[in-house]
Amino acid sequence: MNEHVIDDLDAYALGALTETDAERVAAHIAECSPCRAEAAALAEVVSTLPDAVPSREPSAALRDRLLAAARAGAVVGRRPSPVPWSLGRVRLSRVGLAALVAAVVVLGAVDLDAYRRLDTAASERNDLYATLEGLRQGGRWWYMAGKDAFAGAGGTLVDPRADGYAPFVLFHDLPPVASGKVLTVWLVSPDSTWARAASFHPNGRDLQAVPITMEVSGFDRCAVTLEDSSWGARSGQVVMESRIATAPTPAVP
Amino acid sequence: MPDPQPSDDALLRSLAERDLGALAALYDRYGRLAYSLAYRILGESESAEDVVQDAFLSAWRGATGYRRERGNPRAWLLSIVHHRAVDILRRKTTFRPAPLEAAELQPGDEDTAVSAERNVEHKTVRDALEGLPPAQRRTIELAYFGGYTHVELSELMGVPLGTVKGRMRIGLQKMRRVLERTR
Ligand SMILES: [Zn+2]
Repeated sequence: MNEHVIDDLDAYALGALTETDAERVAAHIAECSPCRAEAAALAEVVSTLPDAVPSREPSAALRDRLLAAARAGAVVGRRPSPVPWSLGRVRLSRVGLAALVAAVVVLGAVDLDAYRRLDTAASERNDLYATLEGLRQGGRWWYMAGKDAFAGAGGTLVDPRADGYAPFVLFHDLPPVASGKVLTVWLVSPDSTWARAASFHPNGRDLQAVPITMEVSGFDRCAVTLEDSSWGARSGQVVMESRIATAPTPAVP
Repeated sequence: MPDPQPSDDALLRSLAERDLGALAALYDRYGRLAYSLAYRILGESESAEDVVQDAFLSAWRGATGYRRERGNPRAWLLSIVHHRAVDILRRKTTFRPAPLEAAELQPGDEDTAVSAERNVEHKTVRDALEGLPPAQRRTIELAYFGGYTHVELSELMGVPLGTVKGRMRIGLQKMRRVLERTR
């Protein structure tokens, strides 16, 4: 085991270490129970400090925004079968990152405005280039063009194929759907089995990233349908689709 | 009859089970405190609200990763808020004005509607901070609310790094004893 980090635990609890130092301390704490216990006690002391600041009321809209964002995420995160890996905080954050990269791909250019329109944290935007590098090392994507009522809309299925990056679809210009309806992303296997990969509601923005909770490999088609339910077999009409198995892997611009 | 006031630990377990009601309850319990903290660090309402939304969403998504042995739910949640706010502050500027001393902690614009219980909590913490020798108190405030690292503080205050660490250590231990006595 590394040396104890007692000397840095106070600064760690106060958030007064650089990221590098904080990571070193966190790594030690994960393995050392005396340091972990001390860090927890200090964290609880430090957590009283906000009580010393003047109390302020955030706008009432913040609560609604938060719950709406969580609800949208919850629909996306719902899945019909057990997922092979956990859909934890890091992975979802990676989805956000990868979506930024895909925005570049979809729009065909580095469109800075597109990043701002994505509903994602500033800290994630700052990691754009790291993710771009991840995609450069073997990611694939396929574009689905919308039909009929979805003409003009589309979605790009992105399979980053890099450790820590989950597949996702980046949709653009989705029209609103009737209440009670959901959009469902399907992966279709060569024997024509339709597997539900995600169900979601359009968020009203012009770009929307939807995480896919299954591996893309092994399927040869992806499609989006308009359904009455987030569960069960496909019954709705296909609004966009693409072959995915034989498509060439394009180079990252 | 269901418990009208579930514990923080119970709320976090429900959060891990994707219970939106638990997220709403957690926000109702700590949203104001989280916002007050973010505002104190950033001094601006729009980015403070972004930080709070981001932090609660992060808690919503990461609740399964919460470990009780690392601290109570309140400490965990506020540490996410703090981390995000300081992250923004550090990116925003390389120079941060030092916070005022005594005036900063006066309850000037305190909302009178906060419950009596919370006022007692606020007063206890304020008293604990104000009971510290000025150098220890200022070190803790500059680190926590000002977003300074201990190395930066050593330069800013013109003292060796070991002295900064010592002030943090002794100051936090004193606060710990005061808070334990009043619990
Ligand atoms: Zn240790």
